[in-house]
Amino acid sequence: MKKTLSSYLKVLPVLLMCALAQPLSAQSVVVTGTVLSGEDGQPLPSVTVREKNTLNGITTDVDGRYRLQVSSTQSVLVFSFVGFVTQEVLVGNQTTVNITLAPNVSELGEVVVVGYGSQEQKDLTSSISTVKTEEITKTPTAQAMQALQGKVPGLQIVSSGAPGASPTVRVRGVGSLEGNAAPLYVVDGMFFNSIDFLNTSDIASISVLKDASASAIYGVRASNGVILIETKSGAYNKPAEVVYNGYYGIQTAQNVLKVANAEQFTNYALSTGSSADAAFINNAFQRFGRSRVNPNIPAVNTDWYSEVLEQYAPIQNHSLSINGGSNQSRYSLGVSYFKQDGLLKFTRNEYERLNLRTKMDFDVTENFRVGGNVNISNGTQYVASNSVWFKTYFAVPILPVFDPQNGATPNQFSNAQVLGYRGSQNPMYDLYYNDNRNKIAKFLGNFYAELDIIPDMLTARTSYNYSYSQINARNLDFEFGDGNVDFPSRISRNHATSFNQIWDNYLTYTQSFGQHNVTGVLGYSYRSETSEGIFASATELLPSPSLFNEELWYIGQAQVRDATAYGDFGSKLYGTSYFGRLAYNYNDRYLVYGTYRRDGTNKFQQTWGDFFTVGAGWVLTEEDFFDAPLVDFLKIRGGWGQLGNDGITASVGAPTVQQRFVAIDGDRVPGNVVIPTFDFVDRWETTEEINLGLSARMFNERLSVEADYFQRDTKDAAVTIILPLIRSNVRRSTAGIRNEGFETAINWSDELQNGIRYSIGGNLATLNNEVLSLGGPQYLDAGQAEFRQRSIIGNPLEAFFGYETAGIFQNQSEIDNSGYTAEFITDSGIVPGDFRFVDQNQDGVIDDQDRVVLGSYLPTLTYGFNFSVSYMNFDLSADFQGQTGHSILNRKRGEIIFTTDTNIDAELAENLWTGEGTSNKYPSAAGLRKGWNQSMSDYYVEDGSYFRIQNVRLSYNINGKTVMGTPMPDTRVTFTAERPLTLFTYNGFNPEVASGIDRQTYPIPAVYTLGLNIKF
Amino acid sequence: MRKLKYFKSLMAITLVVAITTACTDQLNDPLENEELVEGTDYTQTENMDQLLIGAYDLLYDLQWETFPLVSVRGDDVNAAGDQFPLSETDEFRYDRSFWMYNSTWLNFYDDIIKWHAAMEEILKYKEFAPNPAEADRYIAEIKVMRAWELLQLSKLWGKILIPSSSQTDELYTTPVSTQEEVMAHIVAEMDAAAPLLPTVRPNQRTDIRGGVTRYTALAVKAMANLEVKNYQGVADATSEIISSGNFELFNNYYELFKTAGKLSNESILEFQYSDFGQSSGDAEYYLHAFFGPNNWTPARAGAGPGWGFWEPSLKFIKFMLDRDETVRLETSVLFTREGIDIIKSDPNYSTLPAWVSNTTRDGDVIGRTDNQPNPRAKFSSGKHYLPSNELTPGRNRYGENKNFLVIRYSEILLMHAEALVSGATSSAMTADQAVNRVRNRAGLGDITGATIDDVLDEKFAEFGMEWGIRFYDVVRHNRTAELNYDGRTYGSDDRFLLYPLAQLDLLTQLSDQ
Repeated sequence: MKKTLSSYLKVLPVLLMCALAQPLSAQSVVVTGTVLSGEDGQPLPSVTVREKNTLNGITTDVDGRYRLQVSSTQSVLVFSFVGFVTQEVLVGNQTTVNITLAPNVSELGEVVVVGYGSQEQKDLTSSISTVKTEEITKTPTAQAMQALQGKVPGLQIVSSGAPGASPTVRVRGVGSLEGNAAPLYVVDGMFFNSIDFLNTSDIASISVLKDASASAIYGVRASNGVILIETKSGAYNKPAEVVYNGYYGIQTAQNVLKVANAEQFTNYALSTGSSADAAFINNAFQRFGRSRVNPNIPAVNTDWYSEVLEQYAPIQNHSLSINGGSNQSRYSLGVSYFKQDGLLKFTRNEYERLNLRTKMDFDVTENFRVGGNVNISNGTQYVASNSVWFKTYFAVPILPVFDPQNGATPNQFSNAQVLGYRGSQNPMYDLYYNDNRNKIAKFLGNFYAELDIIPDMLTARTSYNYSYSQINARNLDFEFGDGNVDFPSRISRNHATSFNQIWDNYLTYTQSFGQHNVTGVLGYSYRSETSEGIFASATELLPSPSLFNEELWYIGQAQVRDATAYGDFGSKLYGTSYFGRLAYNYNDRYLVYGTYRRDGTNKFQQTWGDFFTVGAGWVLTEEDFFDAPLVDFLKIRGGWGQLGNDGITASVGAPTVQQRFVAIDGDRVPGNVVIPTFDFVDRWETTEEINLGLSARMFNERLSVEADYFQRDTKDAAVTIILPLIRSNVRRSTAGIRNEGFETAINWSDELQNGIRYSIGGNLATLNNEVLSLGGPQYLDAGQAEFRQRSIIGNPLEAFFGYETAGIFQNQSEIDNSGYTAEFITDSGIVPGDFRFVDQNQDGVIDDQDRVVLGSYLPTLTYGFNFSVSYMNFDLSADFQGQTGHSILNRKRGEIIFTTDTNIDAELAENLWTGEGTSNKYPSAAGLRKGWNQSMSDYYVEDGSYFRIQNVRLSYNINGKTVMGTPMPDTRVTFTAERPLTLFTYNGFNPEVASGIDRQTYPIPAVYTLGLNIKF
Repeated sequence: MRKLKYFKSLMAITLVVAITTACTDQLNDPLENEELVEGTDYTQTENMDQLLIGAYDLLYDLQWETFPLVSVRGDDVNAAGDQFPLSETDEFRYDRSFWMYNSTWLNFYDDIIKWHAAMEEILKYKEFAPNPAEADRYIAEIKVMRAWELLQLSKLWGKILIPSSSQTDELYTTPVSTQEEVMAHIVAEMDAAAPLLPTVRPNQRTDIRGGVTRYTALAVKAMANLEVKNYQGVADATSEIISSGNFELFNNYYELFKTAGKLSNESILEFQYSDFGQSSGDAEYYLHAFFGPNNWTPARAGAGPGWGFWEPSLKFIKFMLDRDETVRLETSVLFTREGIDIIKSDPNYSTLPAWVSNTTRDGDVIGRTDNQPNPRAKFSSGKHYLPSNELTPGRNRYGENKNFLVIRYSEILLMHAEALVSGATSSAMTADQAVNRVRNRAGLGDITGATIDDVLDEKFAEFGMEWGIRFYDVVRHNRTAELNYDGRTYGSDDRFLLYPLAQLDLLTQLSDQ
């Protein structure tokens, strides 16, 4: 850290000097001229003409004319106008500078990647959102998808705080109960389940194909949405450009949860009325003394979160790339290094990754091109034991970290069992005594050859995409004693490799007949996915492992090898596909689009499937009758398509046999258990989606609006059915699920006369998730029996299900007048300080008939907005995002059902009911331990809404400067605050919980970085 | 040049067609590494015993909450510790939402469904077996296991479902059987199974030492008859076991529950566990920690303590002291120093026999030694205690390598006596003889003219902390006033637990009960 920081400190003064250094020539020059539009040759009024890097500027008049006095012949004029490409001209000896501005093709004419080809934005009939490298690299993260949080309506990103862990990504809700409903990632043609191996600076663009009409060409893999990633390419006819891009920063845990301190905990424990708990406190007095301030409180007051959490953890990224090309070839090479430390002390939790990439394209002849790219990713991830978070929350504050009397080895940690508690509680054992390393290597290669069979009309392309990945996990438990029990050392290894390949071959036909424009694609794709691996473990390593003898952490050093602790695994999946696409437009006005894919796989009993889509669009602004001068472009579009999801676990569809071992008279004897229940998932999940949308640009391209309505219905979704009498749950292809919503994105950007450029944008998406059918039953239960979730037709998937509370019974008369029958009141033993549950059916009894849906883990509204301002050399941008309408099951509070003698959160401890009028939200301390109050209810199910300042970034640009006659490279210095503030009411320290069940969640840190970007 | 291009594309197209046809074959490849039942070669009948061994795995693999829930309600033992569902159940306050109810229900039924699957598979082997009787014997063994678990289920919930196959779809329409129907079913099953089973003690079996024999079937049959007060049925079944002369009481009551007592001549059903003599690594283990004292100073340092969740009642201890019991009290109860003080605080028990100590005869010091209160159990179950010096070196879990006794010959003797004093007749042995044999082993003298009171007291003394035998005894004989101690009140509808909510949600027929 020191080294990197000091090198910044050396560079900074030089950069500042450059910024202040102004050219010394002082003779002013007057320049006049006319600005014309490249679209129609007409004069352009209101064009900003500015002297670069000054406040000096003017706009053109109605005839497109301007007159500007500039400081010298070295001045550069900048012509900018919304919807046109900004141009710069060196004044030199000219006094008249006439200029023609080209329309900005990066807006409507922009080429958008679609499956197996590309299309112009204006021709799209579907919903595709593209995010470019500049946006992606704004976020200091190892995970490129993290950078999209709040930027694409309909795309939900649930962050993960652990170093190297990927966020949960959901496109338009959840249409599948399996595999996190993760979308398909296509990196330069190769399929992936995650892009956790890519460095953000290697990515040129990420395109989210949201609706069926866009993604259907990926057929059986497309149901959860498709995300296309293009890595960076070189450019033809461009001299080499070397770019350094890097940042260094710190992460700090945010919104750290307050748990009860010794005083709060003692008060709570004593008011439970439990003699055991009182005895524990008493033991704490005896062993560790009484507080001098309040002798009724034990002297020890450990804040476990501050014991385990680092105050700051560094994060850094450095990327170096070189791009360029001649007239027959282009190239791009890059190397990146990323390192992120975790937030936990005393244990290795960090992520380090080195990426190497290269991409080359060659025009062999005029009509024949070849190329390829290779991306090598090599990561090392150290994962802290997740149980640390769990124990830190629950460890009692009256326990010190160390207790020499306890006799723990090798570190003298305390053990709550000496006070009488059931577990050792101290999270230090979990922090110190294990080390979990994953070595993750990924190799991605894409190679293609493209031949123009008939130039400008028929092209054949063959591409071979290859990925090889390896995850080597090594988990080591150190030998230790907790004062009570000695634990032997243990090592386990799990090596998994996978080798996937896709071979695509397709023809592209493009032709125009008058006003009729046709593009057609026809292709074939072969895919294979093979994975295999082995695992083994053993105990009692000699010498005893420590961080100082890592070279001896091998199974061969272990004294005892378990017979069951080794094994292997593997899978082979194949896919064969035929696909076609036809895009037609008449006079750029009427658009028709369709794709077809026929997919075959060996994963399910259903081998073949057909997936169609059709779409249409109408560009109203092209019509003669359309006469709204403020509207530059207006298109309405619609599409329908079918998608499949084979990303679910295949089933064997028959009873299976499991091997078990039994001790018979002291011998270990193998036996077989028949598992009579089995999954029957004989087909893939299929989704049909309708999308209706509009795209508009108004006010001279200043305002852009995209709006979409979608309805996607999944049928044959694999759903888990809890069986009666047996612990096995089975999966069946019986669920129907609907996701429905409205998405819109609005952006306004403009440039003021004084050279200030700004933009404001916002997006929001609604989501209504609903179970349509369950193959017979009206509902299916899910989740843990004690914290029931239920999928009910007409309600969200796996909704939390239980009693609705109506406050706390304050006194006996409230109980007597509750409407509960007298008999029920007696039987249930309710006392003041207990929950008042709503008797939904008003039969005077609280029973299973009174349970209702309490909430869903899916947000009903996600939104984001942003603004950016550029003025002279400064750029400032800020992104905000949030979501609402979803619930979190506070499973940490629920843990009391199983273990009562642990700590609770401060909010609960402080606000427990202690007598009439003290709380209408939380029960009494004694009540917390009663079955009545422990029933699943909305007490556990909290509002998960949050709002976050996602990213604030301030940059200073140094362009075209010279220092002592030497031209300075274009340089940008950036300060970024990522997630500096998150607001929420949930009683946990992180409102981002993918499954909605918060039992142990890594905190999401705030990140502050200083970045540097230099172009040579 | 142009020709070359067309040639190239022709080549490409040919290649595509070739690959396309070749690759579709792969779409029929089976999934990797999944062994299917339907792929079983039933002519390999030597694999049939694998299914039987698997059945024992299910039987022995008892999750920790099962035994406490079955056994907690008697006046011999109290729930200590922080398990709210257990302490509430101990005090006859039942709740459908208690996690232990659903878990225990599933622990038993899960085995039963899987045993049906195993029996159905064995039947398929039978066709090819050189000795079809062997298949029948395997099935008979599994039927005994199934019957024993059905018995436990019905003891807890009364009316239950009797599954008839491994097909879970059938369960939605399976009617709820009354307890009488369940017991009649068990008796019929045991009558069918017993003739097929070997007439040896479990520890005399050579193939599966400690496995089920004919006497296990008879014992389960006797217990089912007992539950519905068919005393003659009890007497007949126990007579057959007694008359076989195969069983004897283990001479040392204390050691019976230690390593020396593994698979003794007294054992009729015993769950087996082992660490295989290795210092770490593989082990089959019952979670005895549940029973152990949560503080102790073990004779062998580093041996782990327990949870302190299973506490012999003061009522039981005083009952034993009143009877001048020695070895049975010492074996049943581990005393803490604090516990001893509590007993002594009652003037009637101010002086205790000299052997009552917080140090066991194996040198383990139970409870805190610093005069501080023991937060949970003041007493622990000695029957679930393995002295730390009997642990295999390197093994530190409480009670590791200890078996779990389920049905002992002394229970046969006392069930026999109970049946006879309740009106049944038998020529195998008199009630007095049966009671006295048990008393003699415990170091007590003979009694004559045994009454039902004598028999129930003897069972209380002999089976404290074991399988809730005491609770079901006093309920059966309408002596539930015994259960009203330490603030408990047993109500008339407290015999059976409430069905678990998770099961009510799945099986609508349960809610009609």
